[in-house]
Amino acid sequence: MSAYAALSRAVYKAAVRDATTVFFTFAFPLIFLVIFALIFRNQEVADTGRGYVDYIAPGVLSWGLANAALFGVAFTLMQWRNDDLLRIIRLSPTSIWSVIGSRYVVALGIGAAQCVLFVGVAMLPVFGMRPDPTWPLAIPIMLLAVTAFLALGLIVGSAANTPEAVAAIANCVVVPMAFLSGSFYPLELMPTWLQEVSRILPMRYVNDGLTYAFTGFGTMADYLISCAALVVFTAVFAVVGVRTFRWSNDS
Amino acid sequence: MSFIDSPAIVLDAVSKSYGEVRAVDEISISIGRGEFFGLLGPNGAGKTTLIEIVEGLRLPDAGTITVLGRSPAPRNLDLLPLIGVQTQRSAFFTRLTAREHLVTVAALYGLPPATAEKALDLVGLTGSGDVRVTKISGGQRQRLAIASTLVHDPEVVFLDEPTAALDPEARRDLGQMLRNLKAIGKTIVYTTHHLDEAQNLCDRVAILSAGRVLALDSPRELIARSGIGTRLVIPAGRLSPEQAGTLDGVNGVAVEDGMLVLRTAHTARVLAALDGAADLDDVETRPATLEDVYLELIGAPQA
Repeated sequence: MSAYAALSRAVYKAAVRDATTVFFTFAFPLIFLVIFALIFRNQEVADTGRGYVDYIAPGVLSWGLANAALFGVAFTLMQWRNDDLLRIIRLSPTSIWSVIGSRYVVALGIGAAQCVLFVGVAMLPVFGMRPDPTWPLAIPIMLLAVTAFLALGLIVGSAANTPEAVAAIANCVVVPMAFLSGSFYPLELMPTWLQEVSRILPMRYVNDGLTYAFTGFGTMADYLISCAALVVFTAVFAVVGVRTFRWSNDS
Repeated sequence: MSFIDSPAIVLDAVSKSYGEVRAVDEISISIGRGEFFGLLGPNGAGKTTLIEIVEGLRLPDAGTITVLGRSPAPRNLDLLPLIGVQTQRSAFFTRLTAREHLVTVAALYGLPPATAEKALDLVGLTGSGDVRVTKISGGQRQRLAIASTLVHDPEVVFLDEPTAALDPEARRDLGQMLRNLKAIGKTIVYTTHHLDEAQNLCDRVAILSAGRVLALDSPRELIARSGIGTRLVIPAGRLSPEQAGTLDGVNGVAVEDGMLVLRTAHTARVLAALDGAADLDDVETRPATLEDVYLELIGAPQA
């Protein structure tokens, strides 16, 4: 078994064996989705002929993807460094890219599972989501979202030395971002200046891209801009992440 | 066969400072292949820093290090599979079982799961292979940590306080395991605060303080050279300290905790002289130990 495959398996098992991780990755966003969808059941967004659920689902999905990718990698990095596992890896011939790569492939798998679960639930007759035929465009956005927030998670995981610090920093990053990016609340209803602020937040582009893929809201050009923006965010976060990376707490 | 005869580890005038503190101060040590080498010293003496330099985890400010003929830094992919390192914290993969953890560690070295099974067997943990790493007992944790160190069959093994926080029975078992490792030809470098254990296990020890080597030799040689000699402990009142001081071969007399303590380099002569003055059955003979040498060197008040 390659080091990469073994580490992926180790990360996967650590994730699925932790009830808290499973809850906050799958159940918690799903609860939000169900609550919003029930509140706005049978209501249509004016002039679109679409139910609210068509807009709510991409929003909750973008928040769920970002949350899981960021928390997951930040926790793993902090924990592996605290437990001296990074030192064990550092002292083996395995490269750091196998470590990050294994965490990445697990994060992508979790992201894909979240997409299937959340969209699947939203499409139940009781909620009635109807994705556009352009829905496959959600796949690149999902990949880019997981990548960008994983890179952001590397920074958080290096900055934090305790689980409490990871949770505090990650929540401070994700929760305001989710509100300002229109994940819970349509951007159009916010003041113009806040809409402008959202342009510096990666989650806005996840939300825009997913909304376009599922509902056709916006233009193809906007969609491509979202993809490009996420690539840029990933590059910036990755550079900072590599610079802040530490093998152990005491060096 | 000069390759086999060449030392496993050579340190030449290695120094490392943190700010004003000289953590490692011009240390030169040569450790032979198959040697069981102990690094002793109080906390802060520089043991861990020194080991981390040898492992290539830290760069020295000055001096050279060779491990199995190679330089450990920068990260040397030829050398890494030849050394095994146990860290002070038990490093286990989160929420895995003992067996899954070892399979993962084996994979880090590109080795198949069967190697993990062998390592599990080597430390006597086969029966606990399916227990989560968080659920296993202290002694078993320590064994699992050592199994992780040995999974890729390294030539040189670094153990940082492997017997810390173990109960006496677990400590004895682990001591036996370490002896077995030496018997199969591993070079072992270990740190410990258990001086009785170091005296029993180590071919040679280095006693470190403030980043310097205070003494380096076999425990037996260090004890002999220290001149501490043997202490004979007699219940007080059998004879007066003044009388005791005049006995043939006695170098020093002290009264400690209601006991008369005689120091000598010639136990037999003193015992012969004591015969008659005190019941020899009451006399307790305490040969000098590595701990006595250590405490004398480190400067703590002697017991």
